Amino acid sequence: MIALAATGITKTYGGFTALSDVSLSVEHGEIRALIGPNGAGKSTLIDALSGRNPCLGRVELMGADISRLTPGKRRRLGLSRSFQKTSIFPRMTVRAQIELAARAVDGSDGMDVLDEFDLRPLADRLAGDIGYGDQRRLDLALAMTGQPHTLLLDEPAAGLSFEESKRLAAHLRDIAARRGVTVVIVEHDMDVVFAIADTITVLQLGQVLAEGRPDDIRANPDVVRAYLGSAA
Amino acid sequence: MKNSLSWLGFAALGAVGPLAAHFIPAGMTLSLLAQATFAAIFALGIGFLIRQNGTISFGHAAFFGLPGYAVAALLPLKLMPLEVLFAAALVGTVALAFAIGLVVVRVHGIAFGMLTLAIGQGLYEAATRWRAVTGGHDGMTLRLPREVFGLPVKLLQQPHGMFVAAWIVMTLCLVAVWLFARSPWGRLTEAIRDNEERVRFLGYRTLLPRAAVFAASALLVAIAGMLSVLYNAFISPDAIHWTASGSGLIMAILGGSAVAWGPLLGGFVYFFLKHAAGAYTTHWLSIIGVALILVAVAFPNGLAGLMIRQRSRP
Ligand SMILES: Nc1ncnc2c1ncn2[C@@H]1O[C@H](COP(=O)(O)OP(=O)(O)O)[C@@H](O)[C@H]1O
Ligand SMILES: [Mg+2]
Repeated sequence: MIALAATGITKTYGGFTALSDVSLSVEHGEIRALIGPNGAGKSTLIDALSGRNPCLGRVELMGADISRLTPGKRRRLGLSRSFQKTSIFPRMTVRAQIELAARAVDGSDGMDVLDEFDLRPLADRLAGDIGYGDQRRLDLALAMTGQPHTLLLDEPAAGLSFEESKRLAAHLRDIAARRGVTVVIVEHDMDVVFAIADTITVLQLGQVLAEGRPDDIRANPDVVRAYLGSAA
Repeated sequence: MKNSLSWLGFAALGAVGPLAAHFIPAGMTLSLLAQATFAAIFALGIGFLIRQNGTISFGHAAFFGLPGYAVAALLPLKLMPLEVLFAAALVGTVALAFAIGLVVVRVHGIAFGMLTLAIGQGLYEAATRWRAVTGGHDGMTLRLPREVFGLPVKLLQQPHGMFVAAWIVMTLCLVAVWLFARSPWGRLTEAIRDNEERVRFLGYRTLLPRAAVFAASALLVAIAGMLSVLYNAFISPDAIHWTASGSGLIMAILGGSAVAWGPLLGGFVYFFLKHAAGAYTTHWLSIIGVALILVAVAFPNGLAGLMIRQRSRP
């Protein structure tokens, strides 16, 4: 079953085309990695899927057209996202903002998420006072409160230590396998990408350059030339 | 523990006014105290907006004067009892503020300030021009019946009675603001203030809560306006001029809006500073200005911020 489908996504900034007729189709429970050079349009695509900015094209969640819905409505339907630039509430305690996130979607207190992300020891600290890695985990925890079935993660491992990235990758694998969560993840660390992705979509200059299984992408000469270079 | 301490604090605050009034001889000081209390409630409303929405209004005096004008204009028509008229004027003001809020809270910073300034000055112009209803620059005198809310009007029009009444209303307003800040609504609006986009992506609508805060702050300001009109039995366009909004803003910033009681403190300090300076010089506004600059530079969180810092030092 297709969990998330986008067709003909086009986004222009003034005269500049950031995304040009991009289509994407993600299976339920799949982990899809979105890779490509800086400025390829990865974040713009996440924005389009989550409803951050108006754009052309159609987005479907579990078969229903959500193109016109606000970000909040999409979130309440189970489509959640995190941000490339950490987006938390520095002047609130960790606990208070998880509670806030929980109240919006399922009315729970969200304490399960605190444990899931090892945030309970920090629960009563102000989010602005905790370490950078902890803030990144909090950003993810906000996105995952209320067990959304589809996650859009924009470089969640950016700035995390090697250990933390590995734990995050294992965590994502786990929720995808165990809870059937669908994940679209933008990631620069190819070790993380090849470790968790079921499928990879390569963006370049606002267009899909290639799409396929990790092994095929690794072997694709266009992708190697445009992006992977010596990394693969 | 902290909770019951706060309630004890509110009870003590509520008692201080009536007690003090008992010992202060009726007259000038009590009358000033009564008017300072109106100013403090006014500042409380403006500080509430700063704290919950993070926006600075240059037009809130409109909501101070509007219900007074409504009562003054409708009173002679004898449509309803005065109490109902008061309630209707408050409800009407809040409804109008909510409608205005739905538009103005979409913008932030300077744009918000300019929009609220324009709306406030628009109402000021209306009050000065629409002479048949408002009495123009001369304002209007209210002919109040002998009793309101079961109390003789005379009682509310002499300093002692009004000061005690206003002080109690002020305490109740402070409790309301405090309770709001601790409620889920308070948390939500503070989250919106700090990171509106993230709140939208968490599944909330953000426009209605922001407009509701705007309306609630207008209600506080309107309550101050009602007390003032009851006491003075008089309303004039001065009450809604933008300089009145500016004074309220100065009080809120002077006191500090990070804690609920900051603007109250600012209101009293400003009011008495103004009168003390006014006794020596006609340039009291520049003295206030200098004082404000000093406070803003030395204590960005206002007098309340300063006091909290002192207390939490080892
Ligand atoms: N708000 C904006 N205004 C103008 N151009 C933008 C804006 N946001 C992104 N862009 C441009 O769109 C392109 C794609 O950006 P982005 O999606 O952030 O790339 P990526 O996430 O793949 O690094 C870039 O060239 C970027 O400069
Ligand atoms: Mg990006």
